[in-house]
Order: sequence, then structure tokens, then C-alpha cells
Amino acid sequence: MSHILEVKDLTLHYLTRFGQKIHAVTDVSFTMKQGEILGIAGESGCGKSTLVNGLMGLFIPPLYPTSGDVLVSGESLMNRTTKDIRTNILSQKVSMIPQGAFNALNPTRKIKDIAADVMAAHSENKSGNKREIYERLRERFDLFGMETDRILNSYPIQLTAGERQRSVIGISTLLNPKVVIADEPTSALDVTTQKVVIKMIFDLLEKNIFSTMIFITHELPLLRHVAHNIAIMYAGEFVECGTAVQVVHDPRHPYTKALMGAMLSADANQKNKKPTTIEGAPPSLAKKIEGCRFAERCPSARPECRNKNQNLRMVGERLVRCDYAE
Amino acid sequence: MFKLLKNLIKEPMFVIGSVLFLTTILAGLFGPFLYVSMPEGATYEAPSATYLLGTDNLGQDYVALLLKGLQNSLYVGFMAGIIATTVGTLIGLFGGFKGGIVDDILNMFTNLFIVIPSFVVLVLVSASWPEGRSLTLIAVLIGLTTWPWTARSVRAQAASLRGRDHISLARINGATNLEIIFKHILPYLASYVFMVFIMQVASGILSESAISMIGLGPIGEGSTSLGVILNTAKNNSAITDGYWWGIFPAAIVITMIVFALYLLNNSMEGVFNPRLRK
Amino acid sequence: MFKKYPTVRYVLQRAIWYFLTFLVALSLNFFLPRLGSDPVDIMMAQSSFSSPEIRKQTEENLRKEFGLLVLDKQDSIVRDTVRSIVIDTVVNVVADTVIDEQGNVTLDSLGNVVVSERNETVINKHEKIEINAVKASKFSQLINYIGQVFQGDLGTSFKNQKKVSEIIAQALPWTIALQLPAILFGWIFGNGLGALAAYRRGVFDKVIFPLALLMSSIPFFVFGMVLVYFFGVVWDIFPAVGAYSLELTPGFSLDFILSIGYHYILPFFSIFLILAGGQAIGMRSMGIYELGTDYIKYAKWLGLKESRVLVYLFRNAMLPQLTGLALSIGQMVGGALITEMIFSYPGLGMAMLTAIQTNDYPVIQGVTLLITTSVLLANFTVDILIALLDPRVKQSLSMDAK
Repeated sequence: MSHILEVKDLTLHYLTRFGQKIHAVTDVSFTMKQGEILGIAGESGCGKSTLVNGLMGLFIPPLYPTSGDVLVSGESLMNRTTKDIRTNILSQKVSMIPQGAFNALNPTRKIKDIAADVMAAHSENKSGNKREIYERLRERFDLFGMETDRILNSYPIQLTAGERQRSVIGISTLLNPKVVIADEPTSALDVTTQKVVIKMIFDLLEKNIFSTMIFITHELPLLRHVAHNIAIMYAGEFVECGTAVQVVHDPRHPYTKALMGAMLSADANQKNKKPTTIEGAPPSLAKKIEGCRFAERCPSARPECRNKNQNLRMVGERLVRCDYAE
Repeated sequence: MFKLLKNLIKEPMFVIGSVLFLTTILAGLFGPFLYVSMPEGATYEAPSATYLLGTDNLGQDYVALLLKGLQNSLYVGFMAGIIATTVGTLIGLFGGFKGGIVDDILNMFTNLFIVIPSFVVLVLVSASWPEGRSLTLIAVLIGLTTWPWTARSVRAQAASLRGRDHISLARINGATNLEIIFKHILPYLASYVFMVFIMQVASGILSESAISMIGLGPIGEGSTSLGVILNTAKNNSAITDGYWWGIFPAAIVITMIVFALYLLNNSMEGVFNPRLRK
Repeated sequence: MFKKYPTVRYVLQRAIWYFLTFLVALSLNFFLPRLGSDPVDIMMAQSSFSSPEIRKQTEENLRKEFGLLVLDKQDSIVRDTVRSIVIDTVVNVVADTVIDEQGNVTLDSLGNVVVSERNETVINKHEKIEINAVKASKFSQLINYIGQVFQGDLGTSFKNQKKVSEIIAQALPWTIALQLPAILFGWIFGNGLGALAAYRRGVFDKVIFPLALLMSSIPFFVFGMVLVYFFGVVWDIFPAVGAYSLELTPGFSLDFILSIGYHYILPFFSIFLILAGGQAIGMRSMGIYELGTDYIKYAKWLGLKESRVLVYLFRNAMLPQLTGLALSIGQMVGGALITEMIFSYPGLGMAMLTAIQTNDYPVIQGVTLLITTSVLLANFTVDILIALLDPRVKQSLSMDAK
């Protein structure tokens, strides 16, 4: 079966004002099948959000692609104009659910008008009958089991945090995109609202509004429930990729292990386990990094780790970027 | 602090602004003492080797007039700027920090004097001042009518600092209000207040030239300003008779100072608020 | 009150606030000219009179005009010899007589005045004028003034005995016709340019930004002078002064209207361009700020049309710019009035300049009052507009009401 999303050795960099290149994403490769949910986890600043832009083919200066390729249903997103990407890819093939829906909606526009803008931007007939657009909107929002009329006719400030986030999800998935990237869709929400949002995402998956999703979060336990596969990202690289069960319950890379150790767990048999912290900070990406990127903070680092570049290799049926992992 | 300065020096706007500003400051400070004025010549003599910028309607050397005018305009600008910044910062800090009814009252005053045009106040007082209006009087008047702008922006900043942890901590540790204001709030706002001060100096120079232009400028021996020079030239029909040297040098000098100050302000804003860069 | 209608409540609140501000402005308008000294004293000192009687009469009329005296119901001065006002005035008399040390005129042996053209002397003669009228208290003067203003009576010009309201009525249309479009279009043009500079950045921004900054550093009247010099004098393309050709009689003839349009161009552009520069600077930094917000990023991620993103940007950055316009409109109007003087445009600015040159206080006060009033009105309008245009403000209004 052909892959719906194929990422090959994707490397991205930012160009600073003084001509310095900062490689925020290095050699990221993965593939996704129709119906797959991939979780990507990592600390803030690890390159998750940059990767999102790359996966949408959206390169707005100072972000530039260095090398590699992204294919959606076999169609490459590289070397295309922003206008081409905007009209043919965004919202239709790849769409994005951003974090912090509080600020993601234009404060001076009603929900229905923002949604109508999305439809107008991607419809063939430019004029687009307004009533027709709203009719379609109403149908779609009715699926969510919300008070459709009130929400559509509200300004963002008149809605609760949960309603706003659900409106964002509704708007992002309006055109049945092939791949949805959810960037921390539940952080900054309280626990009850988090559940409502997750439930809505699964509703949409069930109703086949979309089927393939990349779920980005820093909450590993959440991924265990949501994702089929999980990739752990550190300093712009994938350090471990495997199934959700493998990565969460049996991590092999020292960083994944540390990350799991840093999580507080509600699990009863882990009551006496103290959460550990990861000392230090990720390396600066402004300079060329020699050797393993995690070596400085790795509890089991060996002297040679600092000089030797690590590559992804198979360890216990999953990919790990560590020569000494077992 | 040092790093900020290093970043500033990389900004072409800052470099151009400082060079322009230092030039005008030095010319204004020392020019009138160093330049030996030419004896009076004929009315509106065109620029020549003797009179580099020509003469005015009384045959006075324009270079000497301009240097003196620049000095006086800078004096008014700085004096007005210092008054407006001091009064505005104190009121803004106090209101923003205190909050509650004190803030409400101070804020009402600030808003009141923002909507009542300072130009009107300047005209009304200047027009009825009994004897000679001195440069200092004009500067004080400008300063006392423009402080609300400073107060308004400082208040907003101070209010946003009020809730910060280190302020609450200081308060728990028994610091007095004055201590908190001067030790914990003012240092955070220093760069901001300085930028506002720069804008106040610019607006002081502009206000002086405007009030002089309608014939309500400083009167008296040696109190000519850039605005007075322009007003005299206009009243003696220098424009319509084609005596460009009566207008252009003074016009360029005013624009230069204000432009330099705006450049400084904008480049600093860029460094203090990185979003504006790129 | 009006809890159900937060917007109406807000409008009323603002209206009351601006009315109180207007009263303060009125008081300032009344007291400030009296701060330094009595305006009547200044005027009297600058005039000369043929006889002491006329002088006294004029002084009395002026004091009555200024509301400095207590009047009875028939508007005539309340006479009171006990509480009379004594005014000490200095009269300069230039004499070509020879004066001795005591200030007395030297007489020759025949009792004739010794005349010497070389010994012209200025004698400062102190003259005491007594007006047997009761001085009004400052407070009653103010109340009197406010009452008059609310009746539309702004006093009478000293110079030509015209009603101040009449002088203003003549000048106001010119000022409105010049300033309203210049400020409005300047605001729109400047903001459009600023938003584009913020959105496009790059070369466009690198050219527009310094240029706009330079433009905003030039005072209105200085730019007016430069325009007059080049376009009116050197190249002689546009008329340098006036609002219409003086050879034409005002009326609805085509020639006259064309002449007005022809005379309009220079003053319009001297306000329009400078104002646009300042607005572009403000809009640019607002725009850059808005560009970094999440909703703009999200709009781009959704693949909205560029023009639509620009509309989002412009609309939201415009709201604070609108408040900015209201707050700085006083300064703008002041600057623009001076521009009228450069062009001898027959508007309020020119009326005020003439009044200032001739110490015509009622006219000065009338014009300043009008400026303040229009600035307050502009602010009020913008406050209401913002409440209507910005759902965030609207929402906070209904929150306040709860």
C-alpha cells in the first residue's frame, strides 16, 4: 500500500539576520499510512513546531528547507511557491490544529466568517454563494454536537476555551484534509476540556472527516492512548521511533528513558518511584554539533559519544539513535 | 546593558541618528561661542563667501542666527522634555503602582489633559502673558502641557509590573511604596522612560517652532529660536520673494534634529522589542 | 441603569465624561488668558486715545465686554462710587520739551515752554483712571462666560465690532474643507502604506520606513513653506497664497470652483503627506506586532488568501491606530492651522493669527474654544466607534454591566 505521507531526510534551517544558519530540524524521515496516528513528543524547543511548518511545505522566511523531501500522496511539497502551497495543499491535503486556540482565532471576526474565509480561499468558484457556504458550515458544525448557531454567530471572546478549541478543530478539518497535524491541541486546557477535545478528535476520525493524524505533544502518557506510533524528538532529530506500547512502556534510548522518568505517573505500582530530572539543556543548534546531541546530558554517556555521530538503528524492533542502546 | 549597546551599534538607524544628533548638539552648544558673527550687511544678501548663508531682513548673518536659534530650540526642547518626563513619570508610576482610587483620579486627570489640546493652552497663555515671554517660560509651558503623554504610557507599564512576583516579594519583606517604586519598578522602566523622553524632546522642539510660527514665540534679546527665524522670514515675505536662505537652513535644521531623535527612538524600540526587528 | 443595554450605557457614560471635560476646557479657556494679567490692561497699553474721556469709555466697555464688571438685569453697569475700580495706567508721552530733574517742563523767562528738538524725552506719566463700577468676582465671571457660550455668544471682536461667532462661521467652512479630507485621507493612506510595509518587509519596507520617518519629522508648516517655495514661486505651477483667485467674485461659477480646487492642492498636500508619514510609522509597528500573533499564523496555516490575511492585519491594527488618531488630533489640528497661515488660507488658523497679531482676545478665545470642542467631539466619536468595531471592547462592556 502506498504511503499517504512520506518524509525523507528532511533538514530545515532558520537564517538569522547576520547570515547564520540554525538547523532546527535534522534528517527527519518517516512514513505514514492511511488511518495511522503518529505521536511526536519532545521538550519545548526541540524542533516540533518547525517540523510542522516543513510538513505543510510552508516556508516563510527566515525558515528555509535545507534538504530532503516531503511527499503527500506521492506529491512533493518542496520547491513550490507559497501561493501554490496555499491554494493546493493547505487545509485540503495537510491541515493544522494549532495550540492555544485562545489566540488562534481572529478576535474581530465571527467564527462563521473565519470558516467562510477558509472555504472561499479553496473553492473553485470565486464568488461562492454566502448562504450556501453557511449552510455547509452549519451541517459540519452540527456534527460536533455543539450549539451550532450560537457558536457560528459568536466572536471568539464570547466563547469558552473549550468551545474555541473545538471551533478551531472544526475550521481546520472543514475541507476533509488527508493529513491533520495537531500541535499540542490540549495543552493550556483544563482536564475536563482536554477530554472533550480528545473525544471530538476521535469523533471526527470515526466519522471519516479525516483519518491520518500527527499528534504533537510533550505529554507522553497522553500519546500512549491516542497514537499508534510514537517518535521522540531531541534537538531537531528523531531519537527513537516505535509503536506506542514500545516507546512508552519499554523505552530504549537514554533520552526517552529520562523523559519517561521525568513524567509524574498516577500509576499505583509506581507510587514510590521518584520522578527524575534531566540535568542541563539541549545543545545550541547555531553551531555544528559533533557527536551525539544528547551526550552532554546522558546518564550513560561514554567518552566516545561526544565525537561519534549516532545513527538510527534497529533495537528491539524499533529505531533508536544510540549505538549503545539495548 | 553592554550587550544592548552592542546591538544598538549594529543598527544603521541608531548610528545615523546618533551622529546627526551629536552634530546638532555640538553645534548648538559650542557654535554660538566659536563662530564669529559677520558685521551687519544689506537686507537679504544672498549667500556668499562673507555670509555663508546670507543675511536676514535686518542684514544679520544667518549662520550666527541659526547657531543661536539651534541652541535656544534645543534648550526649550530639553527643558520641556525634562519637565514633561519628570512630571509624567511620577504621576504615571504612582498611579500605575498604587492602583485603586488614587490611580482612578490621576488617570482621569491624565485623560482630561490629553484630550484638551496642548496647542490651545499654549496659545491662550502665551497670547496674554504680560511682558516678554522668555525661552524658559515657553519651555515650562510646553513641559506642563505635554506630561500626560508620558504619564499615560508609564502608567500602563507600571501597572503591568505591579503584579510581578519580585514586587510582591518586596512588599512582603516590608519595603515601603517609595522604595518599591524607585528600587523595583523604575529600573525596569528606565529604558522605556528614556525613549519617551526622547520623543518629548522632539515634540518640545516642534511645539516651540509652532508657537513661534504664530508669533507667540520667545521675545527678547538673544532669544531667537529656529521657529522665530522661520516666522521672521515668513513675515518678511522671504518665501514669496524667493529668498530661500531665509527658510531652508532653519527648516532643514529643525527636521534634522527631530529626524535624529525619531531615528534614535525607533532603533531603540527595535532593540528593546525584538519583534520589530528582522 | 441601562444594564440591559451596555452599549447605550457606555455611550452615556462617555457623553457625560466629555461634557465634564468640556466644562473644564471652558474654564481653562476663560482663566488662562487672565493668568498673566488682565487682557484689558494689555489692550489698553497698546492703544492710544485722543482724550482721557474716550480712554475711560473704552476701558469701561472692554471690562463690560469681558464680563469683568457686575451688570444689572438691563445689562448696564452697576455703579458704585464706594467700591470703584482704580486703574493705574502708564502713558508714554513723547515730548520735545526740555525737562528738569523733577520731571517738570522748563519754562523760559516769559513763561513759554522751552522747546528743544534734540532733547526729545519720553515721559512715563502715571495716570489713574477711576471707574465707579463694581468688579465682578472671578467665579461669577466664569459662570457668566459659560452662560454666554451656551447661548452661542462668543463675544464681539475688538477690531471690527463683528460678532466672534460670525467671524468663526465665515472661517470654519474653509478649515473643515481643508483639514477633514487631509486628515482622513492622510490617515487612510498612511495606514495602508504602514500595513503594507509591515506585511511585505524587504525592499519596500526599507524604502518606505525611513521616508515615512523623515516625513513625520517635518512640521506641517515647514513642509508648506517648502511646497510654496518650489511649486508657488520657483516653478510657479500652483498659486502660493489664498483659497481662490482674488480677481474672481465668490459664487457658484465654474471659474470660481476651479480656482478653489487649484488653490487647494498645495495646502492639502502639505498636511496630507506629513500626516500620512506619521501614521505609516505607527501602523507599521502595530502591523508587525499583529503579524506575530497566533491568529495571523493560523490564518496563514489555513491557506487563506494573502489579501484576506492583509485585511485581518489591517483591521485589527487599525483599532489602536484609531485611538491614536483621536488622541493626537489636537496636535494635528494645531499644526494644520499653522499651515493655513503659510498659505493665507481664510480659515480658522488665519482668523486666529490675525487675532493674535491685534490682541483681539474674544476672537482668540473663540477659536481656541472651537478647536477644543471639535477635538473633544472627535474623541467621543472614536470612543463610540471603537466600542462598535471591536468585539473585545463590546464584550468587556457587557461584563462591566454585570
